[in-house]
Amino acid sequence: MSAGGRVGRVAIRAYFWLFVVFLFAPLVALLVFAFNRSPSPTLPIKAFSTQWFHRAFADTGLTAALVRSIEIATATGLFATGLGIMASLGLTARRLRLRAVVVSVLLLPLVVPYISLAVGLLILLNQMGVRLSLWAVFLGHVVIAMPFSILVVLPRLRSLDPSMIEAAKDLGSGEVSAFGRVTLPLLTPSLVSSFLICFITSFDEFAIASFLAPPGSPTYPVFLYAGSRSPGLLPELIAVGSIIIAGSLLLIALAEGGRRWVERRLQGLSAEEAQAVLEGSGLAVEI
Amino acid sequence: MRRRLRIGRGAFVAPPLGIVLLLLLGPIVLLTLYSVNLRTNIPFAPTVFSSSNWKDFLTSHTNPFRDRFFYSMKITLLVSLATVIAAYPLAYFLAFVAGRFRYTLLLLLIAPFFTSYLLRIVAWSDMILNNNGIVNQALWAVHLRPSGSGVGWLLYSNFSIFLVLFYAWIPFVSLPIFAVLENMDHSLVEAATDLGASRFKTFWTVTFPLSLPGVIAGFVFVLIPTTGEFIAPLYVGGPGNQLFGNSIQSFFGDSPNWNYGAVLAISLIVVVLVLVMLFGRFLNTDLRRQPVEVER
Repeated sequence: MSAGGRVGRVAIRAYFWLFVVFLFAPLVALLVFAFNRSPSPTLPIKAFSTQWFHRAFADTGLTAALVRSIEIATATGLFATGLGIMASLGLTARRLRLRAVVVSVLLLPLVVPYISLAVGLLILLNQMGVRLSLWAVFLGHVVIAMPFSILVVLPRLRSLDPSMIEAAKDLGSGEVSAFGRVTLPLLTPSLVSSFLICFITSFDEFAIASFLAPPGSPTYPVFLYAGSRSPGLLPELIAVGSIIIAGSLLLIALAEGGRRWVERRLQGLSAEEAQAVLEGSGLAVEI
Repeated sequence: MRRRLRIGRGAFVAPPLGIVLLLLLGPIVLLTLYSVNLRTNIPFAPTVFSSSNWKDFLTSHTNPFRDRFFYSMKITLLVSLATVIAAYPLAYFLAFVAGRFRYTLLLLLIAPFFTSYLLRIVAWSDMILNNNGIVNQALWAVHLRPSGSGVGWLLYSNFSIFLVLFYAWIPFVSLPIFAVLENMDHSLVEAATDLGASRFKTFWTVTFPLSLPGVIAGFVFVLIPTTGEFIAPLYVGGPGNQLFGNSIQSFFGDSPNWNYGAVLAISLIVVVLVLVMLFGRFLNTDLRRQPVEVER
């Protein structure tokens, strides 16, 4: 490696880490200011306190919004993943009429702007004479989350070895039990990813929820938006936000740790390499 | 028997397809009807076909919403371009320099993307860019600005809109570029080097052209959501920096005019679809490898 190459590598490495700092800076700011005793999130921090966490969990408006969002996101994760499995099964059928059209329609929610969909759904509810409700928010979230589920489940379903399902059938399994005992377990990793992606999509969604959630029962992002405009509420919103952010990051780190652990077992690495990998995942957890 | 089973499997697409038709195409059809006044939310107003809202939006001499639209497109293109350019070295680093830990580092890069979008914007608007926020405080501390006087254009400006959107999409854009670089046939690079090409020349004539599908995919990934963006301007935009999405929102809010709002909402959908089709053509090589396109 020439000197120029080495300088280039150092430069690009520095560039990467600068961006990591840039990307994490707002998250770190949230985590730190959550413990700021002053109600205003400004430097310098004179004293630390956990009072905002106590206040946040005593605020029934905030906790109710959180529960609503968790419920809707869980339902969306399950329902959208179920639909994703169905769509994937259908799309892997040997015979399917208008396959290209079906694929385009199923993936259409990926390219329709959420704001347009949100106001369109508002009109649809109005047209059908249905009042604003959290069910409407849930259905809206299912529509936008389902394509992600398909994009995660379909490739996995395609990559399954058909001979395994053939074997199950040769051994006397019916279509349904072969699916339940062979296909579904093999799909599990992709189903978990699908659930998580759909959950996050719903939990973080603002446009649809802001139009369809009934007044008085906002989802967490809608509550967060309304509350962050009032200085009195901001500190407790930051406190809850910091828990959510720390939780998300921890979950990602755990998933990565799990992935590396599996990879290490599968590849049968040498002891030193395994040690290096362990340190690597330790790094991920620390950050 | 066998034949029937195969047809049966295809039938599984019916429920997901039905949901999309009802809850996505249904609203689009209704928006279209509203946009030409075949339906209205105004009580007792006549519902006869009228293209006056479309005429006003598309052809009137001055139309604040059309101006807003062009302003939004400018911001969107700028953000998309900037994120792709900035994300390229990140993807390059991960694919060719980072080595064994590249997947962990990739995850580190995209992890912020999986945390609440709203919260990250709040951090920018209420902690970092605001008048006594971290950036201004830092400038005061090193005496680059007189204490107490904040930089005017940090917040509620074109800059803050650009920065927040750029920040939000950088992690996501580096993904497709990384995927393409990672799967590139390295023997081509070796061949170029063996034939005496400099590193720079190898990059421009081999690596970069091969990575174009990833670059365009990243570009489209930012383009689609940013075109309809309306959350970031609510926090970090001033009255003059609201985007087209905010115009749509305003017609369905406190002073509703769903008929005019529908014109804007449909326009936005059409523009995004056209953009996707336009750039989708360049993605062909990439899409064909994607399992979604089935050839049987």
